[in-house]
Order: sequence, then structure tokens, then C-alpha cells
Amino acid sequence: MKDKAALLLYAAAVLCVTLVHDIRFLAAGLAATLLFSGRSAPLLAARAGRAILVFNGIVSVSYAALALLRGAFQPEFLLRMNLRVFLLTYLAFLLVSRVKPFRALSFSPALLHLFTLTYGQIIVFRRLFDDFRLALKSRSPARIGTRDLYRNAGAAGSFFLEKALHSSTEIADAMRSRGFFRDPR
Amino acid sequence: MHIPDGFISPKMYVPAYVAAAGLWSYGLGRLRRNLDDEAIPRVAVLTAFSFVLMMILLPLPGGTSVHAAGIGILAVLFGVWTAFLCVSLVLLLQALLFGSGGITSLPVNALAMGLIGGAAAAAAYRILRPLHERAALFAAGWLSINLAALVLAIALGAQPSLARSPDGTPLFFPFGLSVTIPAVMIPHAIIGVGEGALTVIVCGIFARLAKERGS
Amino acid sequence: MIRVEGVAHAYHAARPVLEGVTFEIAGGEKVVLLGCNGSGKTTLLKILDGLLFPDAGLYFFRGKKIDRRTLADAEFHRDFRRRVAFLFQNPDAMIFNPTVRDEIAFGPRRLGLEGADDRAETWARNLGIAPLLDRPPFQLSTGEKQKVCLAALLALEPEVLLLDEPTGSLDPRTTGWLVDFLQDLSVTTVTTTHNLSLGAELGERALVLSEKHTVLYDGAIEGILGDEQKLLEANLVHIHRHRHAGVEHRHFHSHDWE
Repeated sequence: MKDKAALLLYAAAVLCVTLVHDIRFLAAGLAATLLFSGRSAPLLAARAGRAILVFNGIVSVSYAALALLRGAFQPEFLLRMNLRVFLLTYLAFLLVSRVKPFRALSFSPALLHLFTLTYGQIIVFRRLFDDFRLALKSRSPARIGTRDLYRNAGAAGSFFLEKALHSSTEIADAMRSRGFFRDPR
Repeated sequence: MHIPDGFISPKMYVPAYVAAAGLWSYGLGRLRRNLDDEAIPRVAVLTAFSFVLMMILLPLPGGTSVHAAGIGILAVLFGVWTAFLCVSLVLLLQALLFGSGGITSLPVNALAMGLIGGAAAAAAYRILRPLHERAALFAAGWLSINLAALVLAIALGAQPSLARSPDGTPLFFPFGLSVTIPAVMIPHAIIGVGEGALTVIVCGIFARLAKERGS
Repeated sequence: MIRVEGVAHAYHAARPVLEGVTFEIAGGEKVVLLGCNGSGKTTLLKILDGLLFPDAGLYFFRGKKIDRRTLADAEFHRDFRRRVAFLFQNPDAMIFNPTVRDEIAFGPRRLGLEGADDRAETWARNLGIAPLLDRPPFQLSTGEKQKVCLAALLALEPEVLLLDEPTGSLDPRTTGWLVDFLQDLSVTTVTTTHNLSLGAELGERALVLSEKHTVLYDGAIEGILGDEQKLLEANLVHIHRHRHAGVEHRHFHSHDWE
């Protein structure tokens, strides 16, 4: 219940942040959110800052350069854009740190099942994928050639494709054997 | 290649959510009719596959490298709807579990990459396949990335005219189409080469394995 | 040859996988790295292969510190990769060349060793996979893939061979073959396993990682095999009830169930 409420609250907050354009309100929203997150605020703020640094940096700098050239520079635009993006990113990190999204999805068993299954597979695949990368590194000079990188990526891609298709049948069989599907075949 | 949170105005993302939601439910329904019990596990593992594809770093000329998208591979092998659902699910999981990507830009990204990119790949493959298998696969990979990028560039570039304050200041994104299209498309013309190559290699190995198994 | 001093590593700050690990391995030693699932065995091997770097502590190979900086030197990197070889638990992760021949010759070619093709032929023969040389490696059985990977590493004629659960997915006959093969090999080996009886076959010295990711035991393999308390502590044996001649009782077990 708590998680569902938090998810709804997050959705409402996101909608508000994109509907409100007054910089004072956005700043007040950010201050309130920071206060609400308590001791984790500095850590979350640092993560959000890092996450938006590159894209916002490029957009801000190129906007400033172009607008100054045209003599139409508006500092409030820069402030509003960066404030809004930072607040939205911060809200996402706050949600992830406080809420188990799986529990928030409990209203739909199919969706919940899909999510859990996918997440589990991602964790398994991600760990194995790392080994493909390291195994190439282990037999290669410091600078790995482009051809080798593509061949390795191709081998990894087709391995995971085979594995995915195999797992999909296996998971479906396992679900069937545990009576997950209503109509037996 | 996706648009982060905070640059798309509600005037675009709300209708995009409505459209995407309808298409998601249609796509899932279609898949369930075709695959029956295996639909959910199939989407789950192919989403994990898609996630792994996005972890692959493609080296590009000039010493840089970018993450692959894998849309062409998914669309050629499993069709547009599977590609659309899997890419959407990856984006959702990235936003909700790993805190990256964006919840407001999610439907725009999903429609551009999964649906339009996927459809472009499937169409290119179908049209060119009779002429040359590998060229068709390369085109599928290249086009999936470039058409998706074009849609995203248009979505971003439309923001200044969609959402601005009474005095004309843009509210979400400052640059119009004349800036976003070249800025996004020129690098993607090269990125697409990596994506095309990966599509050729992965689909090629997969086809060979399938042939050897006699299926 | 290998010196590890107070090595610690964590993938997530709150969950360490190695803590204060210290040991030395001399040239020619055959070391068995024992530990339960999640004790940090694979991570330790990856550190020994210079694929991961410790968060704290030091690793020296032939007296030279191994870290990001030293491995950034192209010549040193090449030399280190030639001398230290790592067999991954899943052979699929290692295979990506179009033929078995290319797979075996890959390391020698890239690391600048002479006669890569001859080496491929020789090691394929030594491992009994010569008839497979022109086949694509990914269509082979797991046992054959394992042999291809082993040949690919031995073709480098390394000084140290790191083996991560090398028999994990092999059938009994291939396991027996591999154990014999490794026993006859005259390189320094570090082999991970949680299978005690196999451990006894694969080396004379045991290094046991505890569930707390520290070194619990370092010494002769016979020493640990007789120490039930330590084995229990390392989660390498279990106690369970069962019947002998109709009498139910409890005692230690190391069934080596896979």
C-alpha cells in the first residue's frame, strides 16, 4: 500500500514539476523535496548532479553561446531548465531509494510477474556479459582491435539470444508445472 | 540515444503516454495470441537480451565508442511488436530500478526507438533481403538507429514552438529543428554503422546456428 | 611468483567479497582455492588475472605490482597476459572466433608469440581435439568447448593457469580426463572448487575462503580435509540425518553434490 501511494505521489509530483514554470515554485519544490529526503539528501543530490552533468552541460553551454551571439540571452531559461531537470532526476533517485517498485505493481499479477522475471534475467545476463568482456581482455594486448571487439560483441549477442530463447521455454515449462496457467494443456 | 527527463513538455508526453499505452496493450495482446503461455517469459528474456545488447560498447572510427541499441536485431528476428515491448520495458526498468533515463520522456523514447526504429528495421530487412541478405541486415541496423534518432530530434526540436512563455522564451528545450536535426543526425549516421555491423554479425551467427540445428 | 597482501574488494560498498586476503604462491605450486558459493573465489581469480583491481591491499606478480597503472604499459600488459592465463567458469564466455583453430591461435597471435598456427595444431593434438580444428567452436559440446578454451590458454605456454570451477559443467568421464591432464601439467595452477574430493586431486595446497571472505586456512590439503570444524565453518560440508543399517544418526557429509 505504502509503495503504491509513493508511486502515485511520484507521478503527481512529476506532472506538477512539468506543469509549473515559475522558477520560485520550482525552487520551493526542490527545497521541500530535499528537506523531505532527510539525511540521504546530499548523496541523492550528488547522484542526480552527476547523472545530468553531461547532457545539461552541453545544452546549457551551447544555448548560452548561441543566445549571446544573437543578443537574446535569458538567464531565467537556463535556471528554469536546469532546476526542472535536476528536480525530476532527483525525484527519480529518491523514488528508487525509498520504494520497491515491484511491490507498487502488486495490483497486476501479470505485470508484477513480468517485472520480476525480467529483472531476475537482467541480473543473470549482466553478470555473464561481464565475463565475455573480461575473457577477451584476458587474452588480448592493452589495446584491443576493432575487429576483435566486434567479433566478441557478436558472439556475446548470439550467445545471449540462444540463452534467452532457451530460458523462455524453460521458464514457461516451469510455470506450467507449478500450475501458473489456468488451463492445463 | 534516448532523451532524458525534463526536456519534453506535458503537451507532448501526455498524449504520447496515451498512444503508447494503447500500443503496448495491443502489442502484448498480439503476442499472447501468438505465443500463448510463453508470451510473458518470452518478453522477459528478450527484454533482458535487449538490456545486454545495450551494454555492448561499439567501437567507432576515431577511437570513440557508443552503446549499442539492438533494435534492428530484435525487430528482424522477432518482429516490430516484440521489439517495441522489449525496448519499452528496458526503458521503464532503467527509469524505475536504476534511476536512469526518464519517466516523462519514456513514451517518446519508446515510440521512437522501439516502434518506429523497429518498424524501419523490419521494413528495410523485408525489402532488401531478396537482393542481399547481409546488406539487408546492415540496413536494418543502420536505419533503426537513424530513423529513431530523427524522430527524437524532431520531438526535441518541436519543444520551443510547443511550449513557451508569453514573452516567447522556450520552457523546456531551447533549440528548434534547425539545430536538433543536424546535431543529432550527423553523429548517428556514423553510430548507425556500428549498429548495422552488430546486426549483421549477431543475426548471421544466429541464422547459421539455426540452420545447423535444422530448424 | 604471486604475492597478495591484505587484498579487499567489494562490488557494492555494503557487501565486501574479499577482506584482508594475504598469501604467497611459489612457482610450480598447485593451489586449490576452496570456498562456498559467494565466498569470493572468482573475484580473487579475476584480481590475480589483472581483470579487477583490489579496493585495498596489493598484488605482486614476479615482484612487480599489478594495478591499473602498471597494466597500462602496453609491453608489460602483453608480457603479463602471456604469463598468466585464466579459464572462465563458463567456456561460452571465452569463445568468439570462427573456427577452433582461430580460437586457439587467437591469444598467441594477438600477444605476439611466434608460430601461432603451429601452436594451435600442437595443443589441439595434446588435448585430443585435432579433428575439431576447422569447426566453429560454438557448436561443440560443453566438454569440447572446455578443451578448446584450455588449448587456447595453454598455447600461450603460460607460467600461471587460473582455473575457475573447471569441472563445473563436465560429465564424469571428461572430469576424470581433465583431472589427469591438470595433474600432469607443469605450470603453477590456482583452481577454484567447492568440491572437496576433487580439490584433493587438483593440488597439494589448499587456500580456504570463509563465508566472511577472509582466508580461513592456508596449508596442506590433507590438513583441511581432516578438520571438520573448519570445513563446517567454511560451509564446505554439511550435517544431515540419515540411516545406516536402520539406525538414524547425524554426522558430517561432503557428498560433493553438484
